[in-house]
Amino acid sequence: MDIIQIVGLGFVVTLLIMILKRERPEIAVQLSLVLVTIIFLLVLSKIGVVLNLFRDLAEKANISYTYLNTILKIIGIAYITEFGAQVCRDAGEGAIAGKIEFAGKVFIMVLAIPIIALVLDTIVRLIP
Amino acid sequence: MGLDLLFKIAGVGILVSVFHTALKQAGKEDMAHLCTLAGFTIVLFWVVQLLGRLFSTVQDVFKLF
Repeated sequence: MDIIQIVGLGFVVTLLIMILKRERPEIAVQLSLVLVTIIFLLVLSKIGVVLNLFRDLAEKANISYTYLNTILKIIGIAYITEFGAQVCRDAGEGAIAGKIEFAGKVFIMVLAIPIIALVLDTIVRLIP
Repeated sequence: MGLDLLFKIAGVGILVSVFHTALKQAGKEDMAHLCTLAGFTIVLFWVVQLLGRLFSTVQDVFKLF
């Protein structure tokens, strides 16, 4: 019943932030940052189990390990980027959030380049 | 896990705002600002440690090296 814990924690911290926001907005932002981090840590340990299953499946299906690793890296970058961007946006810094998202997109594109090249290579080989 | 951290930070926030008001009423503006800065730094110290743990966990789980 982890979800009930998380929802309860969210309520409690929301009320605390409402108390603090008027007097000390910077500490309210840090409080929400800590809550988000704790929820992330709780959820990540669950995601690890699912990822291990995916690795097993990929091994059985004879899919090369590099592709799976690339996908996992992309998911990881997306998670971190989203996390950073949301915290910045909550604190009212939409411009910085936009830049963080832009950097994440660029890094994901760089990681995807080998796969795109492989797809293009295959298509070129199929066309006589 | 890190749940006590949340309440510690909220406590520091409330305490700092009370100190700020008290010092301001006593006419010590600079001391009030110094007090705010100290509270902020303490909280930032905890937050950075937790963030470091989060990022290393993400790197572990998603094999981001």
